[in-house]
Amino acid sequence: MQPVKPMKSKPDHSSASDEQLVEAAKNGDMGAFEELVARHRDKIYARAYSMMRNEDEALDLSQEAWVKSWQRLKQFQGESSFGTWMTRIVINLCLDQLRRRKRQRTESIEEMDEESGGVERQMPVVTANPTERLERGELRKKIDHALGQLSHEHRTVLVLHEFEEMEYKEIARTMGCSIGTVMSRLFYARRKMAALLASLKTED
Amino acid sequence: MTNHESQLKLQAFMDGELSVREAAEVREWLAQDAEAHALLSELRNTTAALKGNEPQCRLPETREFFWSKIEREIERQGAQPMRPRPVAAGSLLAWLRRHLMPAVGVAAVCSALVFIAVRSHGPQLRIGEMALVSDDMGSYTYRDQADKMTMVWLYDRSSADSQVADSSDIDNVTTE
Repeated sequence: MQPVKPMKSKPDHSSASDEQLVEAAKNGDMGAFEELVARHRDKIYARAYSMMRNEDEALDLSQEAWVKSWQRLKQFQGESSFGTWMTRIVINLCLDQLRRRKRQRTESIEEMDEESGGVERQMPVVTANPTERLERGELRKKIDHALGQLSHEHRTVLVLHEFEEMEYKEIARTMGCSIGTVMSRLFYARRKMAALLASLKTED
Repeated sequence: MTNHESQLKLQAFMDGELSVREAAEVREWLAQDAEAHALLSELRNTTAALKGNEPQCRLPETREFFWSKIEREIERQGAQPMRPRPVAAGSLLAWLRRHLMPAVGVAAVCSALVFIAVRSHGPQLRIGEMALVSDDMGSYTYRDQADKMTMVWLYDRSSADSQVADSSDIDNVTTE
């Protein structure tokens, strides 16, 4: 009787660390790369969605980010976590897309007003904390709604500072603008968010 | 406190982007200006509301379907050739169209120019500069004063094998 040969099975990557998966993927292991995609796909998609506010665009850009990361994987030296590196890729793709879109559209007076601060400069200060005593889920819903009402420029700078925890200098480099512009945009974005969150509370 | 620069400085203070000396100046200013204090509170409330409360959303596709799209795209891009593929028998017509037709065209133009020049100037021919109409084509010119003959070799720049030494690759135009 011949000995039974063990069946060749797909290696299980679920218990490997991101670092191990990256190393394996660098050597051409697509299974390892698939595991990385599975682990980080929601975060990457969420970042694309937070910047684009469009499901289809966010899907396309997050997919493009994964393809790009596969092509550039050998450049990843592990100075940051894999998730952070991936997030930077999708952020850059979103910014490219937003720049292309901006070039295509005609700048309206409203947009120019928004860029320079517009009415936010004269807005009264919101004295009460509008998010106090809100449940987390409810608060997230309100924040999502308010973010959707900001311009791309204001939303992007807010996302990069508050959620990606980037410093002014890093945001300026990523967005290709001056630190002064970053500070200005962030200020107006925060002021507008405060007003929007306050008005959402009033509406309820 | 309505100065915009001061407002930005206040924000930079909150974000920890000021030097020790500048931060001390802002603290001093805050102690005297209630309006600045109120604005700082608003900025802090907004930042605190956002911290850790990023709206959550999940990719609206299954793991398998999303991966299949990525895998397909990687394979598609990976399958692209790095170098031009060798000419296959089936694509001979395309190769001829790509390489031979421009050469024939250039040769015809040169012949016509030379013919017109000969007819209009007779034996005292002085051929001026001739421009090649295709970037893919290169040329070598040889003038034999004794025989009053000019030879023009045309060759395909894009082909690595295009060497003047190989006479089979040369279209030439001669005149006397």
